[in-house]
Amino acid sequence: MSLVGKKNESISLHETTKGDKFSNAITPEDILRMEKITDTYLCTPDANVYDIDFTRFKIRDLETGTVLFEIAKPPTDFGVDNENSEETSEEPLDPNAGRFVRYQFTPQFLKLKTVGATVEFTVGARPVNHFRMIEKHFFRDTLLKTFDFEFGFCIPFSRNTCEHIYEFPTLPPDLVQEMIAAPFETCSDSFYFVDNHLVMHNKADYAYNGVKRRKKMQSCLVLTILEN
Amino acid sequence: MGFLTILKKLRQKEKEMRILMLGLDNAGKTTILKRFNGEPIDTISPTLGFNIKTLEHRGYKLNIWDVGGQKSLRSYWKNYFESTDGVAWVVDSADARRLADCKRELRALLREERLAGATLLVLANKSDLPGALSLQQLREALELDSIKTHHWRIVRCSAVTGENLLEGMDWMLDDIASRIFSID
Repeated sequence: MSLVGKKNESISLHETTKGDKFSNAITPEDILRMEKITDTYLCTPDANVYDIDFTRFKIRDLETGTVLFEIAKPPTDFGVDNENSEETSEEPLDPNAGRFVRYQFTPQFLKLKTVGATVEFTVGARPVNHFRMIEKHFFRDTLLKTFDFEFGFCIPFSRNTCEHIYEFPTLPPDLVQEMIAAPFETCSDSFYFVDNHLVMHNKADYAYNGVKRRKKMQSCLVLTILEN
Repeated sequence: MGFLTILKKLRQKEKEMRILMLGLDNAGKTTILKRFNGEPIDTISPTLGFNIKTLEHRGYKLNIWDVGGQKSLRSYWKNYFESTDGVAWVVDSADARRLADCKRELRALLREERLAGATLLVLANKSDLPGALSLQQLREALELDSIKTHHWRIVRCSAVTGENLLEGMDWMLDDIASRIFSID
């Protein structure tokens, strides 16, 4: 399995101002009803007034206990490796850089039975009430899975983790073949609500035709998702 | 069919349980949670917030919340009481010095209205340590026998060896299940 970080230039916000007003209009019910991936981000990066910051992602295979990947945000904003500085300077002003992740897995990934997906996040000075995540995974226009989870309350300045351990959805073999043959047409929208207000929207896409884990590519991923 | 029966049926459909792990800092809550889920336990730092695990176990969907036990965090515990079906109260069996503290916090918890229906599992952790108190000593120090308001049990366990963790958890799940999932 390898991971590739890439900035997605095709996705942008067409309503760039008045982010607050804009995002307030989107409700969790709207999201649950959505039948396909969104064309745009449904809130601006500054809708995140609680300073919620994702600092770690991890996926492990429960069958073997193997950590399939783990990426953590460097302790400081300047903790990025020198070898990546070239890539950093390419598009330094893309406001959506931190909101998109591209994953490249090997076909074996789709054969996993039980996986644990961990996120770690920190929150700022304000207490966070009714923190809720809704994540929708699609292949083309087919909804594969919806996660809807309420974290509830988050303590000011806290560092929190959440691991969802779940059975991988059983997908029909022909769908699996299609997914492998169509890299990055599997994608997901992650929406984060505080008190029913949309505060964050992240996107990811996935390929399952990877050949082998490559260390260098992993560091690219870290760069892309954690840059902001 | 009464209202309670309808409620029970609703819950039964989902078979979901919410478990809250609390206790003083350094009791071993996070280590127990990780051990229970087959994760390495060699690098665990104090929890300055919460750790959640959602998993399927014996056909139940478990949501386990481990909330930091430092003194400054305890006033936030109340934010996690809602809808709790079981409380796992974790005790450092070798920390005799803070048992009074431990008892006081547990007592306060049991007075909470929102935890009124919850099952209580006391996990006497670190039982493998040389200075660990016996179950009987802990029962007395925590005055467990005077608890009449909650179903409770104390289990001697060790997050390091894994001893009794599953047994304790299974007892709690059975107790919760008999309360909320069975009809009549």
